[in-house]
Amino acid sequence: MKTTIKTIRENILTPWGLWLALLGVILFSALIGGLMVFWKGLSITNLTDRVPWGLWISIDLSAIAVSAGAFSFCAGVYLFGLKRYEPIARTATFIGLIGYTMAMLSLLLDIGRPDRFWKALVYWNTHSLLWEVTMCVMLYLTVLVFESMPILASFEWFRKKYPRIAEKMEKVHHYAPVLAIIGLGLSSLHQSSLGAVYGVIKARPIWYKPEMAVLFMLSAIVGGLALTLLASMLSARLTSKAKINDALIERAAHFVGYLMIGYLYFRFWDWLAQTYTYEPGRTEAFEMLTKGTLSFNFWFGEMIFGALLPTFILLYRPMRLSPFWRMLALAMIVGGVVALRFDTNLVGLLTVISYLPGQATVSYTSYTPSLVEWVTGLGIIAYGLLAFSLGVKYLRVVDHRLTSKEHKSVDVNAMDAVRI
Amino acid sequence: MNDQNVSRRDFIKLTAVGLAVVAGARAITQADASAGVKGEHQWAMVIDQSNCTGCRYCTLACQARNDVNPDIEWNEVTDTGMMDGKMVYLPRPCMHCEHAPCVEVCPVGASYYRDDGIVMMDYDKCIGCRYCMIACPYEARSFNWEAFEGENPAVPEWGAPEVERRPRGVPEKCSFCYQRIDRGLSLGLIPGVDDEATPSCCVVCPTGARAFGDLNDPNSNVSQLLKKYPSYRLRENLGTGCRVHYLPVGVVPVRDVETEG
Repeated sequence: MKTTIKTIRENILTPWGLWLALLGVILFSALIGGLMVFWKGLSITNLTDRVPWGLWISIDLSAIAVSAGAFSFCAGVYLFGLKRYEPIARTATFIGLIGYTMAMLSLLLDIGRPDRFWKALVYWNTHSLLWEVTMCVMLYLTVLVFESMPILASFEWFRKKYPRIAEKMEKVHHYAPVLAIIGLGLSSLHQSSLGAVYGVIKARPIWYKPEMAVLFMLSAIVGGLALTLLASMLSARLTSKAKINDALIERAAHFVGYLMIGYLYFRFWDWLAQTYTYEPGRTEAFEMLTKGTLSFNFWFGEMIFGALLPTFILLYRPMRLSPFWRMLALAMIVGGVVALRFDTNLVGLLTVISYLPGQATVSYTSYTPSLVEWVTGLGIIAYGLLAFSLGVKYLRVVDHRLTSKEHKSVDVNAMDAVRI
Repeated sequence: MNDQNVSRRDFIKLTAVGLAVVAGARAITQADASAGVKGEHQWAMVIDQSNCTGCRYCTLACQARNDVNPDIEWNEVTDTGMMDGKMVYLPRPCMHCEHAPCVEVCPVGASYYRDDGIVMMDYDKCIGCRYCMIACPYEARSFNWEAFEGENPAVPEWGAPEVERRPRGVPEKCSFCYQRIDRGLSLGLIPGVDDEATPSCCVVCPTGARAFGDLNDPNSNVSQLLKKYPSYRLRENLGTGCRVHYLPVGVVPVRDVETEG
């Protein structure tokens, strides 16, 4: 009896044990919630014919957006020669793998016929943006699996048990530049297309604009870079398993600050353009963002805390050098991108444009996720946190001392380059 | 660079250009195809608002013939307001758009054009993503949030079901009663003329406010009505090219028909 209590105290009543227990409880409730959704159908959600996409789709969009660090860092390291960031690319790739599987999980819950999920791969409507997104996401998830193989191979237990497979998996790293090219292509396509999924809907004027694609792409890059850096810094603070090179992160964060200027510039014109002239449906939707139901999300979530403040912090050296302020700024950027995804989805759906003849009359509807949507949604997030925590503990996902042996940079004579 | 050898960089460039050209060409042909193939018949519906009394028989007949869940209306009738002391109604079936947003966005091609212009749903292909519902400007689609089980309250008073019930997890919508058109044509009947071959909403309408027919036939009643009277379509500015046309109040003389019973 005494030993049992001692075991419990030593193994469970540690921060790690409690963290796992908390995630376990959430995951267990989400599992029950998920089974209920499959059994009872979507009638137990608060989704309606008017608001058919809700919390799950927003989680799906956010998970994909903040996974963009994977392709951005891999492109930077393997294509643009920023080799010193390679250990961060490792973290980013692992986050990407988690993020895309999170997106898959939320889609599986969301579609009315999860049993027909495979049909999306067999029947092609190449005209559909959602087809393009589905294809790219599936292919990119495959790329991420390959890119993560060397990471998964560093699991001690697996290495000991299957040394030969582990060795093969590590060799995949040799193809990192090729995978980075494919990843960059696929990501650029579907990160933008996810915006275009909304951008092509002519019936809803707040969405109907070509810049939706660019907006999604830009915000995904800043959000993805920010999450990777934040997750690295946070892990290093919480566990000795994670080792970071703070100077490296500080430089990357500085770069994110500059990218944020570009993002803000874009948002500014996007915002200003919508204040000009009355357009039925668009103006009302825009008012919902700036003065209505979503105004808190818009001003604080997306704009002030989501973009302006973190840009200032990351570009102001004394604050950027402080790990606390830097982490806060990165967290705010991630929050801002998530807020943008939630608001984009909701604003178009909550603004209802009547089809009756004459000038379009516009009304607002509402949507509050049901308990089962929240429980399963939180479960998806808990899965992401659990996977990352395990990665940090067992796969050295955040370890900036790691340097790869496989591919060295090749010295080329200057003459070779100019010999045309 | 050697003349005979293509460098890796050039190879990648060429491959990229090649892929882009193929993808571009594909996209253009797809864009052309988005309007569908024009077949022998082009079905259309004309709804005369002067004679619509808002009795909603059309909705009930539709629910019976297509075995629709009582929570769902394929043909929703809206009170749009008073004009000269009379309520004006607007029945709304699926518009069967020539450039249908739902068809264009469906990732699996479960929504598609028939040669005769009907926008159809393949309920076996649909994965239930609901993108079509978001794209439709007319709220013409309803989702099966739960399975429709048990008796259909509209049956047998308003007719017997002619099609299979849709399963849980897919959206559904008006199909211009394609089953009646197809069966009618195979029996040598003329849709829009013979009741057996005409959408049930048009057949049941007690005031004859709904006409159906072939736009390819200049003598069909729809072609004649559209030629004779001014008409409009819903959210025409979107360029969807609806196959449901409305004759506004006041253009057609009101017929004196007893609607009770």
